[in-house]
Amino acid sequence: MAALVLPAGLLVSLLLLAPMLLLFRISLNLYSPTEMMVEATSAANYLRAVADPYYRQVLVTTLLVASGSTLLALLLGFPAAYWLARMQSRWKSFATVVVMFPLLVGNVVRAAGWLALLGNGGAINAALLGLGVIAAPLPLLYNTGAVVAGIVAVVLPYMILTLAAVIESIPRQAEEAAANLGARPMTVFRRVVLPLALPGVAAGSVLVFVLCMNTYASAVLLGGPQFKMMAPAVYDQFVRGNNWPFGAALAFILLGITLTLTVVGSAALGRRYRRGKLEEAA
Amino acid sequence: MGSLVLEALTKRYGTSTAVERVDLEVPQGEMVALLGPSGCGKTTTLRMVAGFVPPSAGRVLIGGADVTRAPPHARNTGMVFQSYALFPHMTVADNVAFGLEMRRVNRADRERRVREALQLVRLDRLEDRLPRQLSGGQQQRVALARALVVNPAVFLLDEPLSNLDAKLRGEVRMEIRSLQQRLGLTTLIVTHDQEEALTMADRLVVMERGRVRQVGTAEELYERPADPFVAGFVGRCNLVEGELETPGGFRAASGALLPCLTAGAPAGRAILALRPEHVRIAPAADGPARLRAVTYLGAQTEYHVDLGGTPILAIRQTPGAEEPLRRLAIGDAVSVSWDASAARLLPVAQTDGQGA
Repeated sequence: MAALVLPAGLLVSLLLLAPMLLLFRISLNLYSPTEMMVEATSAANYLRAVADPYYRQVLVTTLLVASGSTLLALLLGFPAAYWLARMQSRWKSFATVVVMFPLLVGNVVRAAGWLALLGNGGAINAALLGLGVIAAPLPLLYNTGAVVAGIVAVVLPYMILTLAAVIESIPRQAEEAAANLGARPMTVFRRVVLPLALPGVAAGSVLVFVLCMNTYASAVLLGGPQFKMMAPAVYDQFVRGNNWPFGAALAFILLGITLTLTVVGSAALGRRYRRGKLEEAA
Repeated sequence: MGSLVLEALTKRYGTSTAVERVDLEVPQGEMVALLGPSGCGKTTTLRMVAGFVPPSAGRVLIGGADVTRAPPHARNTGMVFQSYALFPHMTVADNVAFGLEMRRVNRADRERRVREALQLVRLDRLEDRLPRQLSGGQQQRVALARALVVNPAVFLLDEPLSNLDAKLRGEVRMEIRSLQQRLGLTTLIVTHDQEEALTMADRLVVMERGRVRQVGTAEELYERPADPFVAGFVGRCNLVEGELETPGGFRAASGALLPCLTAGAPAGRAILALRPEHVRIAPAADGPARLRAVTYLGAQTEYHVDLGGTPILAIRQTPGAEEPLRRLAIGDAVSVSWDASAARLLPVAQTDGQGA
C-alpha cells in the first residue's frame, strides 16, 4: 500500500522539499555586490529582516492584509456556504459551479480587469466624472482596500466550498430541534450551526490565510508600486536586487510565520470544538 | 397543555398535493396516531403542526390559539424526531436544558427540572455523556426528555421507534404511552407501523395520498373499516372484488357466490372484506376449495386456499396433533365457511387521483 504514495511522494520531495532545503542553505549565505553570493553560515540575513523597519512594515502589512482578508472571506463566505449547503433544488450543482467560477479566471487576468474598472481612467471614475458626481477621479486603486477586495475575490470560493462541505454534514434536524425548543434563527445559528461548523471554519480559514499570506498578483497589480507585501518583496530580492540570500531569508520568515500561525490557530479552534464550549465563551 | 385542532389543512407543492384538507381535533390529553404508507402526507401534516412546513391553506390551532403563521420557536410544541436530532456537541444534560434556557428558566430551576426529566426516562446517571457515547435506545430517551422538560402544549412524535431494534421497540412503546397518560400530554404520533398505532394511540387517523381515509379507535377501524384501503391497511384482510346481485348475494369476480349480509347494501360492484380469523376451514373430500399453502406460525397457522379462483386466507389457532386439520396436505380439497355477519361489503375504492 505504501507504494501508492510513492509517485506523489517523489514529486513532492523533488519539487518542493529539495528546493526548500536549497533555499534554506542559501538564506545562510552572504550577499556580495561583486560576487552575488558568498558561502557562509550566518544568521545575518534573518537579523537584518527583523531589524530593518522597512521589512518589519512589509511583514506587518502582510499579516494585517492576510488576517483582514481571511476574516472578510469568512464573514462573506459563511452565509453563502450555508445557503449552498442547505440548497435542495436541482440547481445545487449549478450553484456549486458558479461558486467555483472565479477560480477559472487567472489572478492576473482578473486583476487586469480590475484596473480597467477601478483605475483613474477606468469605467467607474469615467462614469462618475461624466455624470458630474465627482470633479476628480476617486483613488479606487493602489490602496489597501483595493488589495483586500482583490484577495477576497480570489479566496472566497475556497472558503465557501470548504465551509459548505462541513455545514452539509450538520443534520438539518438538529436545527429544527433547536427551533422547536424555542430558539430563534440567530440563536440556532450561534448555539447549533456555528459550533458544529467550527472544523470547517478552521480548515477554511487556514487554507485562505495561507493563500492570503502568499498573495502576489493582487498585491502588485492592485496595490501599486508603493504597496509591499512579503511575496513581492521576496521576488524583488531574487529578480531585481539579485540578493538571493536575503530573498531566501525573507521567504523563510514568511513560511515560518504562516506555519506557526496556522498550527496555533487551528489547534486553538480544534480544542474549543472538542470541548464544545463555544456557547460559554460567546 | 392544550388541545390541537387542524382545520382543512392543505399542503401543495406546485401542482401536486401532499396533504388535502385534513380536519382533526385532538382534545387535551389524547394521543392520536397518523397512520399510513410512506408518502401519504402524515409527516408533512406533523411538520405543519410543528411549523417547519407552511400550509398552503387551512389552520392549525394549539390550545385554541391560531398558530398557522407562527414560526416553530413560538409554538410550544415538543417534538421527538425520527433521527432523535440530539445536539452532538452538547452533553445529555445540556441537550435537555436547551429548551429551558430558551425559556429563560433560572439556573437552579433548570438543573432541578433537567434532573427530574432524566429520572423520568431513567437516564439520570448519564448527564455528562455526549450523545455519541449513548446507545440508540438511550439517545431516544434523551430526545424524549428534551421534548418533555419544557411542558409543551402539544407533544409530537415522528416515527420515534423506527430506529430501535424490535425488542426495544415494544418496551419503549409502553414507556412512551405510560408517560403520555401520566402527564396528560396532548400527543400526535406519526407512524407507518399499524401495530405501533394500535397499541399506543387512543384514536387513529388513516391517511392515503394526502387524504384522511378514516378516523376512529382501533376497534372501530378494525371491525368497521370505511373502505377497502383501511380494511387492508389496519390488520390483515381478505378483499374480494365482485358484484352484489339482488336477489342472490355477493358474486366474486371469479364466479363464486360468497355469503355476506346484504341488507341495506346497494346492488352493483362492491368489495367484500373478510378478516382471516373469521374464516373456518375443514377437510372435505368434495369441498369446493383447494389448499394452496400452509404457514405454521406457532400459536397460529395460516391457510391459503383457492375458492373457485378466489384466493382466501384463513388464520386459525394451530390445531392439536390429533385434529384432522393437522393432517391436511397441499392440494387437498377443503370446505371454507364464515358467518355472513363477519363479511362486510365495502364500496369500490374511489378512483380519485389514480392516474397520479
